[in-house]
Amino acid sequence: MEEYVISLEGIKGLLENLTREGFNIYAPSKNNDRFVKVKDIDEVALFPDRRPTDISAKECLFPKCEPVFYYKREKNNVEIVDIDPNGNKVLFGLKPCDAASFTIIHKVFNWDYKDKFYNKRFDNSLIIGLACTYLDDYCFCTSVGLSPVSTVGSDILLVRLSDVSFGVIVITDKGGQLVKRYPQLFEKGEPTKSKQVLDSIGGPARKFDHKKVKEWLDNNFETDFFNSIGDICVGCGQCTFVCPTCHCFDIVDEDYLYSEGRRMKNWDGCQFYLFTLHASGHNPRDTQYKRYRQRVNHKFKYYVDRFQEVLCTGCGRCSRGCPVSIDIGDIVSRISKLS
Amino acid sequence: MVANIQEKSLYLPRLAKMTKKERFTEKEMFFEFRFDDGSNLNHRPGQFVELSIYGIGEAPISISSSPTQQGYFELCVRAVGRVTNYLHKNLDVGSYVGIRGPFGNGFPYEKFKGYDMLFICGGLGVAPLRSLINYTLDKTKRNEFGKVYILYGCKNNQEWLYQKEVESWLNRADVETYLTVDKCTDSNWKGNVGVITTLIPKVNFDVNKTIAVICGPPVMYKFVVLELKNRNFKEENIYMSLERKMKCGVGKCGHCQINNVYVCQSGPVFDLPTVRKLQEAI
Ligand SMILES: Cc1cc2nc3c(=O)[nH]c(=O)nc-3n(C[C@H](O)[C@H](O)[C@H](O)COP(=O)(O)OP(=O)(O)OC[C@H]3O[C@@H](n4cnc5c(N)ncnc54)[C@H](O)[C@@H]3O)c2cc1C
Ligand code: SF4
Ligand code: SF4
Ligand code: FES
Repeated sequence: MEEYVISLEGIKGLLENLTREGFNIYAPSKNNDRFVKVKDIDEVALFPDRRPTDISAKECLFPKCEPVFYYKREKNNVEIVDIDPNGNKVLFGLKPCDAASFTIIHKVFNWDYKDKFYNKRFDNSLIIGLACTYLDDYCFCTSVGLSPVSTVGSDILLVRLSDVSFGVIVITDKGGQLVKRYPQLFEKGEPTKSKQVLDSIGGPARKFDHKKVKEWLDNNFETDFFNSIGDICVGCGQCTFVCPTCHCFDIVDEDYLYSEGRRMKNWDGCQFYLFTLHASGHNPRDTQYKRYRQRVNHKFKYYVDRFQEVLCTGCGRCSRGCPVSIDIGDIVSRISKLS
Repeated sequence: MVANIQEKSLYLPRLAKMTKKERFTEKEMFFEFRFDDGSNLNHRPGQFVELSIYGIGEAPISISSSPTQQGYFELCVRAVGRVTNYLHKNLDVGSYVGIRGPFGNGFPYEKFKGYDMLFICGGLGVAPLRSLINYTLDKTKRNEFGKVYILYGCKNNQEWLYQKEVESWLNRADVETYLTVDKCTDSNWKGNVGVITTLIPKVNFDVNKTIAVICGPPVMYKFVVLELKNRNFKEENIYMSLERKMKCGVGKCGHCQINNVYVCQSGPVFDLPTVRKLQEAI
């Protein structure tokens, strides 16, 4: 992997140049709640030691609500207008636990049929990661095959060397081309320096073996383990909405005046009763413990069976935001000790 | 009828015109649809479509006609919610609806060649099974299968779907048809009264060369399977079409997921050994 050094000013210059090239820049908002389109480059903050945004960067490529086509109807005549997501994006300052999520959910949007809405946005995006020095009780990236300095999913990864200088690790061809386009901003770097920084970061305190989690889930579907969690969980679905890897959605129509409107793809979540309610009234996941069991199984077993990846980057968002303090990291670490 | 399509989208329906609409019961209606260009749906028996009414929504509906019926396709729809009620009440022959699909695996009828066929339909479950029944009974396909047994049960005598066709099955020499109602509401009814499992002991099938295909309400599966097992039916010869909540039909939205399987893609048809491995399936 090639390495460079860029100054803080250089990063600003890079973002300005990319804006001029026609990219929209998305970065954590001032109050850190989500990734927003940047209006003023000076406001982009580069704090590797702040916690992950409340809502993940997922919505930049897979928005929580998006139209999939427009229609007009008049008596028996219907006109449908397809939509093409367009626009080039730079997702800037993603923690490795956010960047990696795209590699993971890419699989579900492409395993058989291809979802052009996700794919076009993904293809037209440049992902600039930032090695993370924020570690708290909730995160567990190193237990799901990642780390605070993981390069998975980023086109380039920035590493803070000092207040004014950042190491640049080039990961993909896209990232390499970026460096080539602006040679004046990048100096050839010394890998040893950033390596020192990377080594010093370490990882979150929580540690478990996700293979052991799967091993236990493989053999324990009917279990009392989830009963008490089902009693506590209020089924609000917050955990699925803030999660960078949850990817379920609903398809609904929004009609204006019964003559024109649009069909929407909106985020949905497995923690809701309605998610699996059949029109006949039958519901295979009729109680909350079954829905929480689904969440854990999907993330640590089903997705692994199907796509050979854990559907979790260990960002800890779902636990930080849970109104009743259900902590997935705690739950799966306990499971890992059962097998 | 203009569609401005730049690149194929998974969520974009084709328009189809309603060419027949007929009431079966208070809740169920029969519909025939055609594409303006005369093309076929090119489906397999057991597959489904996503039917949409613009401004109302989309619903998965089994294709009830056989692919041997060319130039049109048929659906049988129960009015339960927004889309299905709108279809019943507000759309008439000549209206356009959106169609995506066909989706799902359908029945592996190639594997059924040479076998006797035992169809077990409960209520609306006859809609998807009729596709395979009509395929099996089609004059170009009939000799590919052995004996055909059709077991069909309804809640009461007002609930029969496809009544005229059921009569034609009863009249065919090459089909054994058994009917039952859970509750008799017609004093002229001379047939069986009782749940569908009460028909199974009446049928003299050969478990070594019969395939059973089941579709009905979720509660039905367990009891029918038990009854077939009592007759020493082989598990691998039992097939069923599963109901799930579905939205996208293309293995993305997650609604239909059971374990690591997307029912909309790998199903809705499964053999019993597979269903046994899928927790929460029935
Ligand atoms: C593979 C597959 C094949 C299927 N094949 C068929 C078929 O061949 N024929 C068929 O008829 N169905 C079939 N179904 C079921 C069908 O998909 C559902 O009935 C349909 O999705 C209902 O859509 P809807 O928009 O009308 O209902 P929705 O509006 O989505 O309503 C769904 C549920 O909400 C309830 N509901 C809706 N409105 C109200 C209200 N105002 N007040 C209270 N409750 C309400 C309904 O009772 C129902 O339980 C199939 C399903 C699957 C998965
Ligand atoms: S955020 Fe907490 S309470 Fe809400 S659904 Fe998730 S686990 Fe349950
Ligand atoms: S499940 Fe929780 S910890 Fe894992 S990726 Fe989703 S939000 Fe982060
Ligand atoms: S219906 Fe969306 S994944 Fe199967």
